[in-house]
Amino acid sequence: MSAVEFPRLLKGAPPIGKRQTLAEYEANGGYQALKKGLAQTPDEITKMVLDTGLRGRGGAGFPAGRKWTFVPKNTGKPVYLAVNGDESEPGCFKDRQIIERVPHLLVEGAILACRAIGANTAYVYIRGEYPIGIRCMEEAVDEARAAGYLGDNVMGSGWKCDVWIHSGAGAYICGEETGMLSSIEGGRGYPRIKPPFPAVEGLWRSPTIINNVETIANVPLIVRDGVADWKSSGDADTPGTRLVGVSGHVNRPCHIEIDPAKTTLREIIFDHAGGIWKGRHLKAVIPGGSSVPVLPNKPEALDVPFTYGAVKNAGSLAGAAGVIVMDETTCMVDALLNLMEFYHHESCGQCTPCREGTGWLEKLVHRIWAGQGRMEDVDLLDRVADTVGGAGAGKTICFLADSAVMPTKSFIKHFRADFEAAVRGGGSPVYLARKARIDRKHASHAVGAAH
Amino acid sequence: MPKLTIDGRSVEVPKGTTIIQAARQLGTDVPHYCWHPGLSIAGNCRICLVEVEGMPTLQIACNTQCSDNMVVRTASDKAKRGRADVMELLLINHPLDCPICDQAGECKLQEYSFRIGNDRSRFDFPKVHKPKHVKFSDKVMFDAERCILCTRCVRFMDEIAKSDELDISNRGDRNEISVKRGGELESPYQMNIIDVCPVGALTSQDFRFKSRVWFLESTHTVCSGCSRGCNVTAGARWNKMLRLIPRENAAVNKWWMCDEGRLTYTDVAAADRLGAPMVRKDGRLVEVSWDEALAAAAKGLAAAGDDLFALISARLTNEEIWLASKLCDALGTPHRDTKPRAFGKDDLLRTGDGNPNSAGARILGVAPGKGGAGLANFASQNLAGAALFGEDLDDRPEAIAALQKLAFVLVVDSRESETMRKAAHVVLPGLTAYEKDGSFTNVTGRVQRIAPCVRSPGDAWPDWKILGWLVAGNDRGARPKTCAEVFARMAAAVPEFSGMTHGMLGTAGLDVRSAAPAQGSV
Ligand SMILES: Cc1cc2nc3c(=O)[nH]c(=O)nc-3n(C[C@H](O)[C@H](O)[C@H](O)COP(=O)(O)O)c2cc1C
Ligand code: SF4
Ligand code: SF4
Ligand code: SF4
Ligand code: FES
Repeated sequence: MSAVEFPRLLKGAPPIGKRQTLAEYEANGGYQALKKGLAQTPDEITKMVLDTGLRGRGGAGFPAGRKWTFVPKNTGKPVYLAVNGDESEPGCFKDRQIIERVPHLLVEGAILACRAIGANTAYVYIRGEYPIGIRCMEEAVDEARAAGYLGDNVMGSGWKCDVWIHSGAGAYICGEETGMLSSIEGGRGYPRIKPPFPAVEGLWRSPTIINNVETIANVPLIVRDGVADWKSSGDADTPGTRLVGVSGHVNRPCHIEIDPAKTTLREIIFDHAGGIWKGRHLKAVIPGGSSVPVLPNKPEALDVPFTYGAVKNAGSLAGAAGVIVMDETTCMVDALLNLMEFYHHESCGQCTPCREGTGWLEKLVHRIWAGQGRMEDVDLLDRVADTVGGAGAGKTICFLADSAVMPTKSFIKHFRADFEAAVRGGGSPVYLARKARIDRKHASHAVGAAH
Repeated sequence: MPKLTIDGRSVEVPKGTTIIQAARQLGTDVPHYCWHPGLSIAGNCRICLVEVEGMPTLQIACNTQCSDNMVVRTASDKAKRGRADVMELLLINHPLDCPICDQAGECKLQEYSFRIGNDRSRFDFPKVHKPKHVKFSDKVMFDAERCILCTRCVRFMDEIAKSDELDISNRGDRNEISVKRGGELESPYQMNIIDVCPVGALTSQDFRFKSRVWFLESTHTVCSGCSRGCNVTAGARWNKMLRLIPRENAAVNKWWMCDEGRLTYTDVAAADRLGAPMVRKDGRLVEVSWDEALAAAAKGLAAAGDDLFALISARLTNEEIWLASKLCDALGTPHRDTKPRAFGKDDLLRTGDGNPNSAGARILGVAPGKGGAGLANFASQNLAGAALFGEDLDDRPEAIAALQKLAFVLVVDSRESETMRKAAHVVLPGLTAYEKDGSFTNVTGRVQRIAPCVRSPGDAWPDWKILGWLVAGNDRGARPKTCAEVFARMAAAVPEFSGMTHGMLGTAGLDVRSAAPAQGSV
């Protein structure tokens, strides 16, 4: 097999801070896939995507082609495509690369996906904290419309398609697919119960397919280069490339496009991101964004390819490929408190377990962190987490509750010593340092007052 | 038709039926907060968890559809543990102010906590605090701490009242129900949110702190506000009516009622209720015995004979209207009429007709007969007398002036009126619809029982008894002893009611027989 040329999705992408224009994109083979796709039947496009085995890049890894086949035929209702660019998961910033640098790739992908599923309208939902991304996408859509790639007569084919950019307003839960639908409709970002599934009843109760930005950006590559070529990277479990974001205690926080089958977690951290900063050692890594279980620094956790299956076997999830690296000085109680504050703050509050439970989890972690914890609190934390959710627990409408539970349980499982130390030592090191600082300040004030 | 097993018992249900509905069919109540049979499914409270064989996780019974050969366990250890967990979480931030909460005694948190909860909590932190006395309107109060965010109230306003005045603000455990744009609730159906609220978060300004609900004497009756005849349960204590709440009747009002109807009970305790019969002597109405008043009424009616104008209220019961008509028949007068009464009107319940028994009056022929005068023209007909059954003419001063010219005016009513004070010769005190037996026929032709919720004030009589005695005259044996007896006599005479009895009307009522009575009907 010939060596795969990298990058693929980001091929020809301008440096960060610049957007690829329509002319640049076209010069790079842009919109050739659309031309090809227009000559194909919708089912042929779906079949290609199905044959590649492309899995959703939003986190769950559901096969995109399979999802597309769930759209019921001849309902008399319009079909919609909703592209998920909310990217609010702590540790994730991969979709941003597409949105800001190669927006036309996403526009072309959205048009092709619309064609495949029988939609004439796509909404691209972009997190409100990406104002540059929103502008880039709007400019790209305007350019595409002016060039006849969008509108009532796409490339003279008589087929109609349009893409609308929708800005989020700062809620993590609007990245959950049905929460996003509620938000696009102008409502509160409340996820919806299933059934009905969005493919049957989504936007305005019409069939709707929801895919992540990176998932959709792969579609032009598939249509343009064909199934075999697209599958030349990755493996049967995780075909194609993956965009990965690396952040935390590394020398070079970065985003990269990798061949998931040929790149291990260790390589991502130590080669691509330049290893642990300040000459320190690795303590822990969260491989898939804040919602997945944390992994300890162990060969069996690190020396695995970055495929869905391999990372799962290692005890975590590849998720949305937000690799968060923690060095040896990290207090895991402190890190978990940060996450619990996030999930408590972001729970939409619909479901009893998540609404009440995320607050309880945060309070428990905070108590341990602040030196008020008892030894029983560590087990209590673990058990309350079970009450709230867990991988596949299905106790709530969406997975946010489970996303709070997975880190909690894994932090305790792998780093119980940190929790027990915080109980025994009167608080986490971060808390103690902060307290010492405040105490010193008070002491100096007190001295000042005496004079 | 999927056939499934729930707790070892098999049941067959139409396609699309959810587990919670199928269980109800078997008489099994799966705990639920957010699910309400009249609202869309929200699936947010998670208390309805049940075990479904073959499913790795517990399922919510309210949104899981039955399928063939499904095996459901509502009371397995796993299901019980799942629900107890949810129960614990529901209570961690709940204020537990049952001792001062109006809902206590009919609160689903209390009920399910007792039934399925643990007896202690593992939560030992300060609770989340929220506003406790939020005025949603002059009718509804809100306590955000007691709210379990089931969204029933929001869904009621959106889906039933069709007035999306409520919303949720903030996020997570800071969530609060709020009136949009900070205003007050305006919908004429807003008080239903108090009923749908499974906890004490929404309380009635009208009923707040009046009584613990377990002290209430409950009576199933029908609202007298308009011709819909919404089914209600009345609550009374110390012979005082304290509230009406809607009672489910799929054929009439489903689970709802309007606010105006809900507050009709306040008429019962009006300051100007009549408590004794009166006869005019030397120009003044003086209290007399029933014997004397009835004799004076009979004499006056006989003297007016076929020159009597009878105004028969469509707020009276079928039984009473039938007796009043019989009285007119005996006197031979064609001058009969009802008085229209305006009311709110919309597509939900309110009919626009403030008379609860217009259909009954129509069936029983209360309208000017051949050559007869009606409300509009009786004044110009040179009549000899008038009888007002359950009505006054206070809103028509010129009609009172016309009455004053008549030789005899009888007023049977439950409250004092200008009409009575100025024109009556004999006043017989009757009762409100919440104090007597009887039946109304509603706008769609449903015949429904009403029942006394409190005892009558003073020496007032039910109108059916007054009319029954007037019709019987000197024939003591013909005086009805019960309203049921009057109904039976009416049912024998009027085809629309044929074959019906009070007992058969039950608590849900019956539709009037079509004009040609079904043959061989029993
Ligand atoms: C709390 C929560 C937040 C999520 N946020 C995102 C997000 O920001 N972007 C995204 O693509 N998917 C997000 N997801 C996953 C989506 O629900 C959904 O699975 C995905 O958009 C489907 O696209 P895919 O099949 O192409 O991956 C989130 C899920 C949850 C439970
Ligand atoms: S799990 Fe949490 S975030 Fe998801 S719908 Fe329920 S309350 Fe909202
Ligand atoms: S006020 Fe009552 S009905 Fe409304 S959400 Fe809260 S608990 Fe439910
Ligand atoms: S709609 Fe009519 S019958 Fe129903 S509650 Fe209102 S007034 Fe009473
Ligand atoms: S009753 Fe089923 S989730 Fe609330």
